[in-house]
Amino acid sequence: MHKHDMLIVGAGLAGLRAAFEGITAGLSVAVITKVHPLRSHSCAAQGGVNAAINKQDNWEDHAYDTVKGSDYLGDQDSIDIMCKEAPQAVLDLDDMGCPFSREDDGSIAQRAFGGASFPRTAYAADRTGHAMLHTLWEQSIKNGVQVFDEYHLLEITVDKKSGRASGAIAVNIATGKIEQFASKSILIATGGYGRLFHSNTNAMINTGDGIALAMKAGAPAADLEFVQFHPTGLKSSGILISEGVRGEGAYLIGKDGKRFMQKYAPNKLELASRDVVSRSEMMEIMNGNGEDGAIFLDVRHLGKELILERLPQIRQLSIDFEGVDPIDAPIPVKPTCHYTMGGIRTDKLGMSNYLPGLFAAGEAACVSVHGSNRLGANSLLEGIVFGKITGKEMVRYMTEEGKAQPATDTSDLANVQRDVANLKARKKEGGVRAHDIREKLTKDLDMYCNVFREEKTLLKARKSVEKAKSDFEKVYVDDKADEFNTDLLTTIELGNLIILAEGTVESAIARKESRGAHTREEYPDRDDENWMKHSIASWNHNKNGIELDYEEVRTTGNPKYAPAVRSY
Amino acid sequence: MATETKKTATKATTKKPAAVKKAPAKKAAAKKPAVKKVAPKKVAAKAAPKKASPVKKAAVKKAAAKAPSSKTVTFRIKRGEQVDGAFEARHEDFKIKYDDSTTVLQGLEMIKGEQDGSLTFRRSCRASICGSCGMFINNRSRLACKTKIKDMVGGVKENMNVPASGNIIEIEAQKNQPVLKDLVVDIQPFYKKVENITPFVQEGAETNADVDKTSFEQVNMVSNCIMCGACYSDCTAMVENPDFLGPAALAKAFRFVSDPREGQKTDRLKELSEKNGVWDCTRCGMCVDACPKGVAPMEAIIKLRTRSMNSGVTNNPGARHAMSFKKDIATWGVLNEPVMLLKTLRHNVIKQAGNALNLVRKGKIPNPLPFDHKVEGLNEVRDIFKELEKNPIDVETRAEDTGPGAG
Repeated sequence: MHKHDMLIVGAGLAGLRAAFEGITAGLSVAVITKVHPLRSHSCAAQGGVNAAINKQDNWEDHAYDTVKGSDYLGDQDSIDIMCKEAPQAVLDLDDMGCPFSREDDGSIAQRAFGGASFPRTAYAADRTGHAMLHTLWEQSIKNGVQVFDEYHLLEITVDKKSGRASGAIAVNIATGKIEQFASKSILIATGGYGRLFHSNTNAMINTGDGIALAMKAGAPAADLEFVQFHPTGLKSSGILISEGVRGEGAYLIGKDGKRFMQKYAPNKLELASRDVVSRSEMMEIMNGNGEDGAIFLDVRHLGKELILERLPQIRQLSIDFEGVDPIDAPIPVKPTCHYTMGGIRTDKLGMSNYLPGLFAAGEAACVSVHGSNRLGANSLLEGIVFGKITGKEMVRYMTEEGKAQPATDTSDLANVQRDVANLKARKKEGGVRAHDIREKLTKDLDMYCNVFREEKTLLKARKSVEKAKSDFEKVYVDDKADEFNTDLLTTIELGNLIILAEGTVESAIARKESRGAHTREEYPDRDDENWMKHSIASWNHNKNGIELDYEEVRTTGNPKYAPAVRSY
Repeated sequence: MATETKKTATKATTKKPAAVKKAPAKKAAAKKPAVKKVAPKKVAAKAAPKKASPVKKAAVKKAAAKAPSSKTVTFRIKRGEQVDGAFEARHEDFKIKYDDSTTVLQGLEMIKGEQDGSLTFRRSCRASICGSCGMFINNRSRLACKTKIKDMVGGVKENMNVPASGNIIEIEAQKNQPVLKDLVVDIQPFYKKVENITPFVQEGAETNADVDKTSFEQVNMVSNCIMCGACYSDCTAMVENPDFLGPAALAKAFRFVSDPREGQKTDRLKELSEKNGVWDCTRCGMCVDACPKGVAPMEAIIKLRTRSMNSGVTNNPGARHAMSFKKDIATWGVLNEPVMLLKTLRHNVIKQAGNALNLVRKGKIPNPLPFDHKVEGLNEVRDIFKELEKNPIDVETRAEDTGPGAG
């Protein structure tokens, strides 16, 4: 059995930033990750990271923008923490060697982003996440963090006596050996579950493993129904075209060649909040101003020089994956599943109130700084701020109330080994292919649980989830080997996705209002009286399904944060 | 030792690739959405873009993308696993349908999903930014997510380096690394080398905290690297010397040497000039060609050489070779190879005695002592050097970030 003080699952920005806190505090830190750290999906973030580092800006405005952007579902205490800590968190990265783009005077350059009242998005060209991730990985090498590279999380274990999270069980992908990790605290930083939708901007690893397994271990998730559809995924593949492109001045145009955002957000236009822009695009498409289910992102007027200087990667993605050079032609784009606001429910510093010793940070967490809609460039920020803060809080926890080592039970390991062996032993005859279940489920969710939702379609989504659940009982794998069995692992990932599908659909059916990214056609208004609360989704082992409950939004009494009509 | 077996083609799939699926929005189009946050649609539409309507161009693209998807291609995949410490290989053929937008990765996913779940490869972002799906496709390392099937079949394609053999795409794991299973290599040796170049900014006497807009131009050139291993796989120097740090690690090293905030630039240059470092590169250009992100590692290596010599790091075989080369040409207009070898290797030249005897036996070593012929136009050669001394070529010129795929 591996034994460490601090166990971190996931090696993206949040995980590596927390590891930095643990290792520099002198603790024994282990990071488990199913892909090499540099391949974590943080690397794909393009546009930038928000922080009020400019003298003319201030963190209170950033916090207000975030509360408003969240459509008043964000927890105000955590939002204050994030925005206040943002400048230092960005400067930390700069000190570590992150090559942020600069202004003439050497200060960190910033660009405009959606839903923000000030151009406060710091960036490193159009590969900000990539630059930040490399920097934090470099620090993990410098500080000697022990990384269990290509280890896949299978279970989060609990000490039944003390009720504390006690570690995890993971498989070494290369050998197939299932191993147990004991720790005093565990951080889930495994990202979101955007792969639940067929059309998405996400990496194939984004299957929400950590969230689903935390739910199974007794730490419920919150706000799973809030799924962000990014306004500019490439039409054919869903690959992301950054909001930074609109920050640089790009237009959204319809089939008629005309801009349309003035109809929906007369002030912020293309830079309104993402939920607003995605709904506007869908309206245009539904009204016949789209083409082949897409509208267009136009940068031609920015000129070749600016495109080559500031948006080189975007241009190449458009050429490689859509066959369009944006210098010459507008890029066909459509709303595409991009980010999941929901995640493991935590207190304002990142610990689960339901399972002591279990922490979450980044997209896997619902702290909640994004509420029902995340602002662009607040996710890299959440990763580095809460990686840092939750990391520090874990260090504190382990020196105070969490000082004792929780007990681990080797029968947990045996149970997981038995389950995996049983899955591998399933017969092809009478079985179902994981691929078929995944295709059906994700396409159905695209169809029935998208930007616009109504009970009728959501009930179809529920049916689809039920079908996936029962088919999954009969799922089989072709690959029976121990070594590098990706057939087995993608099947296990599908099992995690199905749990999150149920949470997403059930929470969406229950929420009878429209707020942020969740738009119910039959309840078009936001209903603060009844619904300014988080949906809490727990896993009930006896009923083998989701149970819903609710938690009030954490407010601070700041009068500026009082719910108001949200216009851009 | 590899043993090769053959297996016949498995059944073809009839499903369309994911990329051409119907847009999910279509169904909802029939409805009249009523959402409060969306204003009525009757606002005057102004500020139309000045340029011509996109419709025509977009329509053309669309027509191209909707080419019939009835085309079939065979993936001939070198598969296998480690058995008792050796990789046992076999080739298997899979037939899939594709259209003009289908990528090799989508093809592999179709095979894994619908035909044989045991086919093993790494993949993640499918947008050429995570570096997971590097593999050897038609004789060159490429990212499967970025490589379109249509560019790999049907004869010679511009800029695609290697013609495909008819309607078959040959796929195997990257080179220069042990294969674990099918298309998966052991990435640890590659990453260990990156870790060995001290991959983080260090404080020190040479730290310059004053940065401006242009400070990271050199850094940016190599920051596109996604560590996919394509350059490492196709590196010819690596074949000869498996301990060579390799293009990616050296490009990463260049990133630190170029960072104004780095405090130990000269020490780094010294280390990089040692064995297995910058002088082991043969400048064959394969890394520049293989890189899917336009990093051009070889150019970074050449800059590292120049910078180390400029900072006085010349007491190593590579630098001595370069200096001796230059001196011979400037003085005689021709190389005196035996002398150059002596200058390069010094007393270690004795280790080359066997090679030298072989070459002498074959008459391949000229008499090193008196030069038996004068080079015509020697003065012109000297003039070139004089001109270069007056107006040196700036090796740092290629600082601009050319973006991914530029290589």
